[in-house]
Amino acid sequence: MKTWVLAQKDLRVYFRDRIGVLLGFGLPIALCTVFAGAMGAIGGGDGVGRIELVVEDGDRSDASREFLAELAKADGLRLDVLASDTQDTARQRVAEGNAPAALRLGPGFGAALAAGDDLPLTLYRDPGKTIEQQILAGNLIPAFLGALGEGAGKRMSKKVLDALDFPLVGRERAQTILDLSWSSMEGLVGELRAKGELDEDEKTEGASAAGAGTEAKSDDAGFDFAQGVAQMLGITIEDVVGGDQHAKEQKIAQQAQSVAGMAVMMLLFGLIHCGGTLLEEADSGTLDRLRLAPGASSAILSGKFLFTWLVGVVQLVILFAYGGLVFDVPIFRAPLALFVLSATTAAAVTGFGVLFAVVARSRKQLEGLSTIVVLTMSALGGSWWPLAITPEWYQFLGHFTINAWAMDGYQGLFWYQKDLLGILPEIGVLAGIALGTSFVAWRLWERRMRV
Amino acid sequence: MTPDESTAAVIEVRALVRRFGERAAVDELDIELRAGECLGLLGPNGAGKSTTVRILSTLLAPSSGSVRVLGLDPVKDGERLRARLGVVPQELALYEHLSARENLEFFAGLQGLSGTMLADAVQQGLALSGLAERARDRVKGFSGGMKRRLNIAVALVHSPELVFLDEPTVGIDPQSRERVYEMVESLHARGVSMIYTSHQLGEVERLCDRIVILDRGRKVAEGTLAELQRHPSVHQRGGASLRFAAVGEALRAQRLLLQQNLHSEMQEEVPDLERIFLDLTGRALRDREDA
Repeated sequence: MKTWVLAQKDLRVYFRDRIGVLLGFGLPIALCTVFAGAMGAIGGGDGVGRIELVVEDGDRSDASREFLAELAKADGLRLDVLASDTQDTARQRVAEGNAPAALRLGPGFGAALAAGDDLPLTLYRDPGKTIEQQILAGNLIPAFLGALGEGAGKRMSKKVLDALDFPLVGRERAQTILDLSWSSMEGLVGELRAKGELDEDEKTEGASAAGAGTEAKSDDAGFDFAQGVAQMLGITIEDVVGGDQHAKEQKIAQQAQSVAGMAVMMLLFGLIHCGGTLLEEADSGTLDRLRLAPGASSAILSGKFLFTWLVGVVQLVILFAYGGLVFDVPIFRAPLALFVLSATTAAAVTGFGVLFAVVARSRKQLEGLSTIVVLTMSALGGSWWPLAITPEWYQFLGHFTINAWAMDGYQGLFWYQKDLLGILPEIGVLAGIALGTSFVAWRLWERRMRV
Repeated sequence: MTPDESTAAVIEVRALVRRFGERAAVDELDIELRAGECLGLLGPNGAGKSTTVRILSTLLAPSSGSVRVLGLDPVKDGERLRARLGVVPQELALYEHLSARENLEFFAGLQGLSGTMLADAVQQGLALSGLAERARDRVKGFSGGMKRRLNIAVALVHSPELVFLDEPTVGIDPQSRERVYEMVESLHARGVSMIYTSHQLGEVERLCDRIVILDRGRKVAEGTLAELQRHPSVHQRGGASLRFAAVGEALRAQRLLLQQNLHSEMQEEVPDLERIFLDLTGRALRDREDA
């Protein structure tokens, strides 16, 4: 009986704080929505995270169009076919970090396909985006096999026999056996597909398994696997970012992404806490005492902003210094740009923190609100996983967060070797967020301080 | 202080009203504080004392009525006025992670003091609060009494002309309370005008020149202690009662009755402030929240 009485009391107390209840129930719902959205669970197959593949058709033949139409059917790929025919455009898109990979069909593609010759296909890749590359490999291989039809298997068989330096005596027989096997396999796949047994989930699972399997071999195993298969299909692979120090740079890019992602998330948590000192001042009575000092009312908020911003800048400087020392994050590549980007990121986060502190009426409200917003922004903004693997709508929403812009900026510096001018768009957006949130906070503060 | 200055009103409040929604926390209040005077504001919880202090110290705007503090309008001239005011809030408004000296330095700096003036003001504050020996210690480790004394010293660090003390002795031991009284008496002796709110009737009796008793946002009585003792609403207890205009007159009346061989057991009863307070404000519990 007493147990029930005690529980009843706790329930009464719990539900009396309506905002607390709302936040308590809202947080899991918000996070589930974000996670589910990221994994493409909303709205069925349409929302599945697909990897963007920029395509440039330099052949413009019926065969190339047919090939691309088949490729477009791959569930894991989102084709972005360029209208222009300049070779640099597709390559440029990857080099500037705007797409993880691009495929170029060179002139003569149709003729080579018909003749069974090596195909003039070039795959441009950004090796820094390893997760995207693994997913791409998992999707591209079956997509190619499907798009090239029976010829793909035969083409691969021929390449395998060449690679094995198969004796000419039995070569024709071996080729026939392999071709028959390919034909049987393709027939089986066609049959299963017709029956609907090869459903979307199995294919997705297969793609993921391909990625996971290759990942297990070694850091770069997925890469080599894709490269090996691509070579058997006669595709030329070019890594357009990273230079000679390829493997090392690739690792650095991953580490820089992790450091930047976590840095921004932790910065959000930390600085919102700092902004919360405004509420502590109100609770402890010192806020009234500050208001009684001449000219202090307007300085209270700017003082809090300055304090929080300085803490943020120092946090980022320490974090990146650590990243530079331990993970070889290239912090001295463009130190001024790194400082300006970090200062602007800290300012944007500070603006949010101060705004929350002005809006929230209690520490509890601030903590609830900030937890929801920080976790949601971090998940949406790419602090936890690369945005490239998420649905398009998710990526669009992601760019309403500080995390996405800050991480774009850091990636630009560390991986794409951009300078201050190169990351000006990111700095501009972050500065805009800082100004916008600070302005709103300031207006609300003024209204609150009005006697 | 010239005669004119001594009689000039430092605070003039006429028909002051402050509403929170439908509820009037202060209702048609008239108060006047003369230069160098210490005015006690007495009243049960929710009487409107703190609201009045917040309005007079520029922290809250009145709903209606006229308020002049040191000749200025607290709403329009808040910025000019604040430098001349010292407010000792009910809560301990200190930074617990800073030392006593750092707290004094911070608030003195905020009031615009610097250099030697700031250093002197901090030294005086430490001496006044009796915390010179603990100047470098963090406030967090201070006793309640030490914090209360520092809370007052911080409000006085810029030598204000007018000081508001809102229940400055809540929850402290008799020794610290005595020290607070001495601080207030020293201010009074220096001619600083003060408004002192408290539930401790004894301290108001000791420290204040005049007393205003508030109830439900309205003024129910005003005057010196002697004037309040003669207030018509202050009842005599038991038997027949005669009211005399001054203390001692009852004894003279008793002598007269005896001279006339009229038997009398007359006893002079002088009500203390607690009696006056309860007679004027009643004995019912007041649970109205003070804004």
